[in-house]
Amino acid sequence: MKKINFGLLLVYLFVGIFAIITVFPFIYMILGGLMSFQETTTIPPTFFPHHLQWGNYGKVFAEAPFAKYFLNTLITASVTTIVSLFNSILGAFALTNLRFKGKAVVKVIMLSLLMVPGEAIIFTNYNTIARMGLLNTYIGLVLPFLTSIFYMYYLMTYFGAISPTIYKAAMIDGASDWEYVWRILVPMSKGGLFTVGLLSFISGWNSFLWPLLVTNEDSMRLLNNGLSAFASDAGSETELQLAAATLTVLPILVIYFIFRKQIIRGVVRNDLKA
Amino acid sequence: MKTNNKKAWLYLLPTIIFVSLFSIFPILRALGMSFQSGPLINLQWTGVSNYQYIFTDPEFWRALKNTLLYAVIAVPSALVISIFLAWSIFSKIRHQSFFETMFFMPYVTSTIAIGIVFRYIFNGDYGMLNFLLRLIHFPAPNWLDDPSMNMTTLILFGIWTSLAFNIVILMGALRNIDPNYYTLADMYGASGNEKFWRITMPQLVPTIAFLLTMNIIGAFKIYTEVYALFNGQAGIGNSATTAVYYIYNKFQMVGTPGVAMAATVVLFLIILVVTFLQRKMMKRIGR
Amino acid sequence: MNEEKFIEVDNLQKVYEDNGYQAIKSVSFNVKKGDLVCLLGPSGCGKTTILNMVAGLLKPTSGDIRFDGKSIINTEPKDRNIGYVFQNYALYPHMTVLQNVMFPLTVGEHKKNKREAQEIAERYMKLTDIMRFSDQRPVRLSGGQQQRVAIARALVQEPKILLMDEPLSNLDARLRLQIREEIRALVKKVGITTLFVTHDQEEALSIGDKIILFNNGIVQQDDIGQRFYLEPNNQFVANFIGNPVIDNFEVTVEGGTVKGSDFAFDQNLLSEDRFKSPLEDGQYMLSVRPENILPVDEEDGQLTETIDDVELIGRECILKFTHDGHQARSLIGLGDRELHHGDVIHLKMALDRVFIFKPNGERVY
Repeated sequence: MKKINFGLLLVYLFVGIFAIITVFPFIYMILGGLMSFQETTTIPPTFFPHHLQWGNYGKVFAEAPFAKYFLNTLITASVTTIVSLFNSILGAFALTNLRFKGKAVVKVIMLSLLMVPGEAIIFTNYNTIARMGLLNTYIGLVLPFLTSIFYMYYLMTYFGAISPTIYKAAMIDGASDWEYVWRILVPMSKGGLFTVGLLSFISGWNSFLWPLLVTNEDSMRLLNNGLSAFASDAGSETELQLAAATLTVLPILVIYFIFRKQIIRGVVRNDLKA
Repeated sequence: MKTNNKKAWLYLLPTIIFVSLFSIFPILRALGMSFQSGPLINLQWTGVSNYQYIFTDPEFWRALKNTLLYAVIAVPSALVISIFLAWSIFSKIRHQSFFETMFFMPYVTSTIAIGIVFRYIFNGDYGMLNFLLRLIHFPAPNWLDDPSMNMTTLILFGIWTSLAFNIVILMGALRNIDPNYYTLADMYGASGNEKFWRITMPQLVPTIAFLLTMNIIGAFKIYTEVYALFNGQAGIGNSATTAVYYIYNKFQMVGTPGVAMAATVVLFLIILVVTFLQRKMMKRIGR
Repeated sequence: MNEEKFIEVDNLQKVYEDNGYQAIKSVSFNVKKGDLVCLLGPSGCGKTTILNMVAGLLKPTSGDIRFDGKSIINTEPKDRNIGYVFQNYALYPHMTVLQNVMFPLTVGEHKKNKREAQEIAERYMKLTDIMRFSDQRPVRLSGGQQQRVAIARALVQEPKILLMDEPLSNLDARLRLQIREEIRALVKKVGITTLFVTHDQEEALSIGDKIILFNNGIVQQDDIGQRFYLEPNNQFVANFIGNPVIDNFEVTVEGGTVKGSDFAFDQNLLSEDRFKSPLEDGQYMLSVRPENILPVDEEDGQLTETIDDVELIGRECILKFTHDGHQARSLIGLGDRELHHGDVIHLKMALDRVFIFKPNGERVY
């Protein structure tokens, strides 16, 4: 006869409870966004809506320019990702493969800047952007984020893992540095670049404080700012708030579920090495 | 190959331009502004008055106290829970990557959106949490509208949001432990508990130290969580204010950028000290 | 044009700036057009450093390198007209074999159009017999096949000089023998001047038209193969070349007698014409190849030794014994005599084949 293992049962219970606590808000958000107003405020609380109120989404789009928020977010997150990736590739290549005077100094400066919290410079950057007259513009939204020391260092670990003889071989084969970067380094680091791209896009999509500072026109807002403004305006219409929240989260969750392996591996990789 | 390849600067140029403009310059300027007073368009040098101001401002002390409270309660709690979750999933559960994927979800999702859901769950009148608490005859406080509860609410939310990163990093560290250690321990007949305390924990120490400091640094940077949870306020009557909230408020709302920058410099120094201590600690552990 | 001095390495020196380590002290040598020259030496002797300086991957501290009379010291690697085969082959893992071989023709200022590049690439792929792997990625190939891809890629630009850095060290022993013959046949067929770095003396002896032996950042001997064996320049060369290694006996020369521990012979027994310099009284090292110190009858013996161990190597066997605290060897034909551990033997040196070195390594006899 097999004895019940109480220790194991406890472990399952523990993991189970926390799994529910973690996932419940997401499920509740999706379901709540499909409830009627009455259902969201009843006691005991409703969990499954009687009739799925798809109309909630219509109302959200009618009450606030969410389509515009989507577009703005997509543009800023994409531009930030592509340009910062491009700059990081070039910088990481120079610091990995090229020898030049001052390299050590550059590395030390970059490493120390890595420790500067974004929150400590965001307000002065706001001031810079304001004085450049770039408030409420796409350029203002992306400009300070077009380069990322963090991603540059991250790429350096990928580039550094490629045998230095590959670079020497390319030099003897007659390739210029530029050709080496685009025909050898980049294709050989596809996986790493893709992961960096994903992480950059996700953090761009979820950015909040910076766009809150540099945009105040509704037409220039990003999703999260639009969402928080909407949550204040929509006041007690909880079902609409939840529908709007679902709209914001869903695209990223879809990307996350498709590329979960790359994303998780990417986060673990760079932070274990930090 | 060239020993001094000047073309390297060309490749670094975009990085150097952006970094100078949006990382180095703002640090120097923040430092400068912290000694200046007046509105942004008319700043005057006033010495250390801003620093005198923030250190006598009860609001600033409240922000620091809240941060400390968060760092002392939320950070260790989340870490302990994460360690047990990661270890349980790693050693006792078959569908590791399924659970890992699930527990990591909060990391990639917008804090603002999740804050809306939590506001709904924490709602004093019709929230799910109070309904469940009443069901088991527990007191059902007013999580959002009672100033004395605001920090508790923030800490609970903070624990929920920080589990994701901790678990995934810990899982990574657990996978890095050479499985031969466990095989050997099994051969000597070690129990599950012994294996955890004698093999797993010592190997996890560097990771735990890393997560502890990352989370403490994170505690000093909390802003969006508060904004999301209290709908743009820092709790009722600023009861859940944080350092960044204080800075934002002084910079944008009150219009005293000098004071905001003095607070920024202090925040920056605190984070620098924590980072420095982490490095020292990691080096000692590494040896 | 001077065919004898197709490659001229002149007073080359390399000091690493970061740690001041003098990797190459002063190295000069010439390579004849069309020759396959082996740069031989123990690991850390600087042979790869020299190859990298010839390739332009490393900048010498001083000295000059000339190809066909022209200094190329300030020429970029891509403009030196060289091919390079790396120890780990350095094939581009994301490209197919064909793309790898074509790569040099599709980059840089002199790139060719795709069809022409493919034609040339395929010509060299046929030469190295890798056409059937054309569409495969290098990781799918065996070490020997990857090696051939690397050679094809090195040759495709039709360089004047081919540089190979330990190209055989990643292969297993049997394949190594086969590939080294293939390499020699190939470079002779193409007629390309080749520098071949190796730490394996047997490899160098078997394929090199000439061998340059390095140690401690200087040339120890620059010669054709058998001369290293028969006429070593110094103690290092004598010790390095030969398998089993040479036997060394410490001796003292005093008043016309060469005295070792437990043996002595008259200086007049040495051949007059083999002296490089007069043998003055003092300390020397007497070096004898194991095949030149053989068991004889008791009355003819110079040394009397007890066998520690008998090691069979194919048709020969090595008798190991300890003399004066050092191990020494005698190499005899199998079946000459049945000998075992513990047997006492009498040995005689062929004095017209021994070498005598000064304590500083300089050869006297």
